Amino acid sequence: MKALDIIVCVKVVPKPEEVTVHAETRTLDRAQARSELNPPDMNAIELALALRERHGGTVSLLSMGPPFAAPYLEVGLAMGADRAYLLSDRLFGGADTLPTSFALAKGIEKIGEWDLVLCGEESSDGATGQVPAGIAEWLGCSQITYAMDLALLPDGRLRGEREIRGGHEVIAVPLPAVVSVKLGVNEPRFMDMERRRSPEPVTVWSAGNLGVDPAWLGFEGSPTVVGAVWQAKSPERQRRFLEGMPQEKARLLAEQIRAAVSPQ
Amino acid sequence: MSEPAGVRVLDDFAWDEVWGAAKGAAAPCFQCGVCTAVCPWGLVQKEPVNVRRLIRLAQLDADGWGEAIWLCTTCALCEVRCPRGVPVSEIILALRRLAWERRSVPKGLPTMLWAVHWDGNPWDQPPSQRQAWAKGLDLQPFTPEHEVLFYVGCTAAYDRRSQKIARSLVALLRAAGVSFGILADEPCCGESVRTAGQEGYLAEVVAANVRRFEEAGVRKLVAVSPHCLDMFRSHYPPWDGFRPLHYTEYLAELLDAGRLRFTREVRGTVAYHDPCYLGRRHGIYDPPRRLLAAIPGLMLAELPAAREDALCCGGGGGRMWLETHAGERFGDLRIREALGTGAEWLATSCPFCILCLEDSAKVLGAERLKVVDVTELAVRALGEASLPHPALSPTGGEEKGEGAPVRGAP
Repeated sequence: MKALDIIVCVKVVPKPEEVTVHAETRTLDRAQARSELNPPDMNAIELALALRERHGGTVSLLSMGPPFAAPYLEVGLAMGADRAYLLSDRLFGGADTLPTSFALAKGIEKIGEWDLVLCGEESSDGATGQVPAGIAEWLGCSQITYAMDLALLPDGRLRGEREIRGGHEVIAVPLPAVVSVKLGVNEPRFMDMERRRSPEPVTVWSAGNLGVDPAWLGFEGSPTVVGAVWQAKSPERQRRFLEGMPQEKARLLAEQIRAAVSPQ
Repeated sequence: MSEPAGVRVLDDFAWDEVWGAAKGAAAPCFQCGVCTAVCPWGLVQKEPVNVRRLIRLAQLDADGWGEAIWLCTTCALCEVRCPRGVPVSEIILALRRLAWERRSVPKGLPTMLWAVHWDGNPWDQPPSQRQAWAKGLDLQPFTPEHEVLFYVGCTAAYDRRSQKIARSLVALLRAAGVSFGILADEPCCGESVRTAGQEGYLAEVVAANVRRFEEAGVRKLVAVSPHCLDMFRSHYPPWDGFRPLHYTEYLAELLDAGRLRFTREVRGTVAYHDPCYLGRRHGIYDPPRRLLAAIPGLMLAELPAAREDALCCGGGGGRMWLETHAGERFGDLRIREALGTGAEWLATSCPFCILCLEDSAKVLGAERLKVVDVTELAVRALGEASLPHPALSPTGGEEKGEGAPVRGAP
């Protein structure tokens, strides 16, 4: 069986609980927020590294973002990825999922050698889940979304398991393929501190390096129009404590739940 | 190649690795087995953890320690009993380090380390919520003009139960007129990283923290948790004037200096549980007892196993982040000991101990015994003038904490 060259697309996201919403500019204020690698992307990296252990090959990381994303890619390199590429250019800024998936697809083509692209199921800030499917379309290859596990079949096809309502769906697709990985399907390994101390350099590519028409990139290439944005208020806890024996408490609790959920 | 039963073929590669990791610490062991005999796991499992065998394997630089290395709570009971002064927990942590290299670590530990990396705390809580415990207290950011830096630590900052300890300590420091501040972006001390055996990552955490503390001009530091104290005192490079203290030591100093006075009666009997990292690790047995003894009306009862003999709560050595099965928790034994003394309160001075002991008290239905921190009894003994104590106000009061609910252990 052949070795697998895997590209994992990752995104640096602000920690969701620390983002505030600007009602006027209709954007997210990330200035005060700490960032992290998008959590399901961590699962995708772990799955890629596990596949490399099983089948041999390489794991490359690919991201689109500002220059500050480079140290986050180094985290993935410390986990065990072989190479990392960052698409960074003002022209990429303000992109919705269409130019994002386009730029990533162009980046994948530029990396060249690949059998499998893994992505997290969706980003914790945008949460559309459209980018993995978009990449597959741009590359014209098969795709599996929300995969829980992957295995290479003896005939060379990729077997993916996905969760559906009431069970699991198992499908097989020919390679090359794009797969989005479900959040929490594995426990991402921690960094290898030897690798952490001497990271591979991150290759940075500008829009010019990809050789594409800037009209297809960034804000200009984004058909999405944000109509309005507002912050949802979290419900105030009422801090009511029930008194009595456990049976009594259970009865009171059931009563209150019934009152809360019954139609008015 | 197969080998006859009972014969172990030593592997040269493992030899170098284990010797290097433990730095020869196992060499003085003469295999008397006292460590195995006193290990508290023998009290809750049919088979004790065979500490002697683990040390022998480390001496032979051989593999085969298996999962036993993750059970150790680093309570140091075996270390104070060892006639040869073998640093058993250091050897165990060295073996854990090798387990990381071989990617053979218990589920959950990588996730805990990622939480430290991304969020700056092992509780997987948002950094922006780190000061939620201090809501309404109007604390000052630390400056070098302050007498002390109040180092809250991750558990007292995030865990709802432990937040009450931090609030009580604020009330006590204020009552004693201490000028203190907290670090706005207080970093995790790295204790959970160390006990998980991730020495490489620990070096990164410690280096960043030392820079942060030096920049802030930190000298005298008062920690809530004995585990943080142990880090600062034993695992950080000392710098000029740096003096980390546990709050029991500092409050006892304030008591001696006449700055802290307990004037209100607190009637009842209290038994004191020595946290391993305060007692056996740092010999701090008397300051907490002096604080309790200074409270008018309070009677102090000793547990059968006290001071150097104290039984661990079960939460040290990274066990906070791993599941301990019901019926195998040291805390259960400790609660039974406390019930035997007839005390109303079981006091201690470590957030991990409180969490483990309170859990055991609940599981055993020991409703007449309240698990409290020394600060929580001390705050009750402050005079009328200093009331109302923030610690006892509705937001920091008896049942409710602040901030997001804490997931995970215990």
